[in-house]
Amino acid sequence: MLRSALPRPLHPFAWWGYAIGLAVAASSTTNPLLLAGLIGAAIVVAMSRRGSNPWANSFALYLWLAVFIVVLRVGFRILFGGGDGPTVLLTLPEMPLPSWVRGIRLLGPVSLEAVLAGLYDGLRLATIVVCIGAANSLANPKKLLASLPAALYELGTIMVVAVSALPQLGESLQRVVRARRLRRGSAARSRRDRLRAVETIIVPVLSDALERSLALAASMDVRGYGRSGSGGRRRTLALGLGAIGLLTVWAFRFLAGSPDVRLAGVPIVSVALAAAGLGCGVAALRVAGRSVRRTQYRPIRWRWPETLTVLCGATAVLLVTAVAEPTVVFPAISPFAWPSLTGPLLLALAAAVLPATLTPPPSMPKVAP
Amino acid sequence: MIRFDGVTVRYASSDAVRLRDATFEIPEGELCLVVGPTGSGKSTLLGCINNLVPRFTGGIRTGSIHIDGRDTTLLQPRELATTVGYVGQDPLAGFVTDTVEEELAYSMEQLGYGAAEMRRRVEETLDLLGIADLRDRALRTLSGGQQQRVAIGSVLAVSPRVLVLDEPTSALDPIAAEEVLATVSRLVRDLGTTVVIAEHRMERVIEFADSVLLVGEEVRIGPTREVLAASPVRPPIVDLGVRLGWHPLPLTIREARRAAAEQRRAWLESPPPLPAPAPGGRPVLTAQDVVVRYPQKLAVAGVDLVLRSGGVTALMGRNGCGKSSLLWALHGAGRRDGGTVRPADGARIALVPQTPADLLYLATIAAECAAGDATAGLAPGTTLSLLRRLVPRIEPAAHPRDLSEGQKLAVVLAVELAGDPDVVLLDEPTRGLDYSAKAELRDIIAAMAAEGRSILLATHDVELVADACDRVVVMAEGEVVSDGPTRDVLAGSALLATQVAKLTNPTPVLTVREYLDVAR
Amino acid sequence: MSRADPFLDIPAPVVGVRLGWRTWAVIVASTALGLFALGWPLLFPAIGVTPQHTADAPFVFAALLPLVVVLVIAQVTEGGLDARSLAVLGVLSAVNAALRPALGAGTAGIESVFFLLILAGRAFGPGFGYLLGFTSMFASALLTAGVGPWLPFQMLCAAWVGLTAGLLPRRVSGRAELAMLVAMGIASAYAYGALMNLWFWPFIATGMESAAGSLDYLPGAPVAENLTRFGWFTLLTSTGGWDTGRALTTSLALVVLGRPVLAVLRRASGIGRVATGDQGRRGSHLIGSPHGSSNPVQARD
Repeated sequence: MLRSALPRPLHPFAWWGYAIGLAVAASSTTNPLLLAGLIGAAIVVAMSRRGSNPWANSFALYLWLAVFIVVLRVGFRILFGGGDGPTVLLTLPEMPLPSWVRGIRLLGPVSLEAVLAGLYDGLRLATIVVCIGAANSLANPKKLLASLPAALYELGTIMVVAVSALPQLGESLQRVVRARRLRRGSAARSRRDRLRAVETIIVPVLSDALERSLALAASMDVRGYGRSGSGGRRRTLALGLGAIGLLTVWAFRFLAGSPDVRLAGVPIVSVALAAAGLGCGVAALRVAGRSVRRTQYRPIRWRWPETLTVLCGATAVLLVTAVAEPTVVFPAISPFAWPSLTGPLLLALAAAVLPATLTPPPSMPKVAP
Repeated sequence: MIRFDGVTVRYASSDAVRLRDATFEIPEGELCLVVGPTGSGKSTLLGCINNLVPRFTGGIRTGSIHIDGRDTTLLQPRELATTVGYVGQDPLAGFVTDTVEEELAYSMEQLGYGAAEMRRRVEETLDLLGIADLRDRALRTLSGGQQQRVAIGSVLAVSPRVLVLDEPTSALDPIAAEEVLATVSRLVRDLGTTVVIAEHRMERVIEFADSVLLVGEEVRIGPTREVLAASPVRPPIVDLGVRLGWHPLPLTIREARRAAAEQRRAWLESPPPLPAPAPGGRPVLTAQDVVVRYPQKLAVAGVDLVLRSGGVTALMGRNGCGKSSLLWALHGAGRRDGGTVRPADGARIALVPQTPADLLYLATIAAECAAGDATAGLAPGTTLSLLRRLVPRIEPAAHPRDLSEGQKLAVVLAVELAGDPDVVLLDEPTRGLDYSAKAELRDIIAAMAAEGRSILLATHDVELVADACDRVVVMAEGEVVSDGPTRDVLAGSALLATQVAKLTNPTPVLTVREYLDVAR
Repeated sequence: MSRADPFLDIPAPVVGVRLGWRTWAVIVASTALGLFALGWPLLFPAIGVTPQHTADAPFVFAALLPLVVVLVIAQVTEGGLDARSLAVLGVLSAVNAALRPALGAGTAGIESVFFLLILAGRAFGPGFGYLLGFTSMFASALLTAGVGPWLPFQMLCAAWVGLTAGLLPRRVSGRAELAMLVAMGIASAYAYGALMNLWFWPFIATGMESAAGSLDYLPGAPVAENLTRFGWFTLLTSTGGWDTGRALTTSLALVVLGRPVLAVLRRASGIGRVATGDQGRRGSHLIGSPHGSSNPVQARD
């Protein structure tokens, strides 16, 4: 058996790359069959490759959120009307609203087209949410933090501190609440006293947490935290501001649909702006992170399963956006046409589900001592 | 290895000088025990070694410190990370990550060690400290002793030349403390690291200490026996040796036994008259068949207990044996799943929790006392005057969080006592207390008992129990395994015997004071 | 001792994050871009440009903002945070994350409690508040596995709240201070809700010309028309419910806990201490200490 296929956690960036690929593919279609297929693929991959960690259990929450989004979207169409088409399914009694409520209609006729438009849109957003949920439950957040660019070293450390402080907060709270019960005999009866009781719990818990944080700070300092000088400040600033400025201009031009010089079908100005902005941003992070000398313990190496996983996501995007026919990717609502799946779309779904078998299984659960 | 030249320290936030003109040198590879009375600046001195004081705390330092031949004046604590390893009192508060392996690697990650080097050193450290089987465990699920070992390992991983330990066992029970100190002594032998340690369980360390550093009005260093003879705080055996003029001064039980051989033989022939416990008063609290059951654990498994007025009872046993659960069940604020707790007519019960600061939330001690008066419906000033009686030197305008552990305990105790309880339950009041604070606590307990209150205290501190309690209840796995007068329980047990009792065994003499009384 | 001795004088350390003019420049630039990313659906009609690519715009900004947030954080923390501020940031982020109900991180700004963010900004200054906004939202997302395209927007909005709280006038104290903070709390609760709605409004409710719902965003429609639609959207979806709930909890928490919590936070700054056994006997010097009521960041300068 290949060494890279032995049970191990996959690099968190690989899972995020895959999930973002799926999300982009979902965002560029309204075909309900394809969207349902993508949701299915994400579920299969998440279920087969998530570990037994606490973050792995968040996936169900995302599925519920997806259902909620679809219901909300369709419900809005029924409640507030809109998107009226010729095929009226049923007519609800319309509520009269004052004239200053411009353009809002409450209830009234419900058309098939309105419901379908809501369903397609909702399903699209729901698919994106499920993909992100899959990434959240698959990728190890601690390793994700450790893989952040060096310029975000402080942010990563703050997060590590926060994650380990949380259980201590819980313990501290339990202890204080229990201690508070010693004063129960003279229990407060008025509302004012009850509010006071909140103070008697929050203040000791917070004081305790802050005292601990100072002890922690001392411990971190002693163990070498922040042994880095400050790098080229002026250059970082120029690069950072340059990146933000260039990207803002690019985004404005993109949204405003500004005219562009095209060379071989490529909009030169747009591409140049975007590339320069991104370049500046990456360079700024590089420069800011250069002064940080820090290494990672037992890093997850990027091996071929990682590459394959990201490629699967990219293939799905490519097939949906470039290869498949637009009429299939965006099925017509008015007049209504049944959505269908063609060869490229089936291939895209196949690519989306492949990581369930291509990747190594998550590490085996350790036997509890 | 470590050289202090006329070091004087004053914190930025107060005018008092915390360390005055310290000049000494600790040679390489030695284990140096730092002793001194409360507030003498032990922690300040230890913090100076890696510049935590004043770089982190703020303050003014004069004089110079050389570590390994290097002047550290201009260095930050982090720049000394590979030279000086520092471990504080509470390991949990100093953990940055949440599993054992990651914590061991943290320093090396910060210092930019290569992946392979890091892996090798983590594995070595795991074996060195005997914690290899804990490698994946979450730090919070470890026992106190294991946590402190991980904390020591996490600084040892970068192989510092000097290891500074500031009261590493003050938050641990005796067994865990033993575990940690055994590890430290092994490190000194195996690695040749220079170790500077402040430790209130001195008797466990003096055996293998090469020198003792006494911090007080003046700072002096010297051979263990010489310095301890002049020290105001010393372990019971040494204290006895000094008072009886034994020479050479005994440091271990074995040495002391040799010195006291004649006395012991005399006592074997004619047992000395030892004071008998005072007869108990009327019962004020009767508990029968108390059961406390948590979802995963049976904490208290059917305990019968009668507390009498004027009696001081110690509740002993290892951590997690149900002492705390029993106290809370007796008070009534905690969980009780079976049995009965009956106070005598109108008897009130008060409980001081393990972390008294949990009950303090106001900005000044005076405000806390006033709030105590208001909730108990007493005349304003009652609690404060009570507190003044317990600790005369306390400042009413001080912030409760600025107090020492002993003073916090006194504030909460004063608030409780203002309600005039007949039974006072104390949950590990000795945790974090040093010698003088314990002596104060002992006087407070004696005064409460003299007022006719019944006191039950959970503690690990055998010496305090021998001094202050007339009865001992020992628990294990939720059950009472022995219950009797202090002398019978302590002297008859191998683990709970005081140092003096170990020395005089089989004659049950418990404390230095008793020894001197009956030997005369 | 002679004055020729080496002399080390370190002032009492304070908790705070210094904002230099460079950092301010980046904050201003990112705020402009952030407001643009949120407000483009309304901004474009106002300047007479019909937005194109409306369906793609949310994705464009979802891709862009993480980079911007990362740049801002890198700039604010550049030169290194001291360990003390960092540890306090970490602990307060954890408290904030715990105060947010588990479901809160799921979608755009359903629920969060700003009171500690506002108080920390007030106690430790604008730089600290700004950074705490970022870290609180990030910690909450990590702990509840709620990382998603909404995260950069939430982080940016929360950071604005923390920054504003830190910039409120320093001289105000006592009851007036509390009233000011409560007003700030209510305003930020509604503003945050509206901004987060504005972000995902075109996302969830972009009408195709033929099938636009009456609460949907209509690209190309006049600004008044879209403002009305958005007004109703936000009123119906959140202002009446979540936002009001958030405003109520925030202001109630500020009224009840504002003063004691502020006192606790201010104590954490300016006290130089390691957790040592004999720290306590330094007595009552903290009462009326110079750092008790002044801006810690200024005090450090």
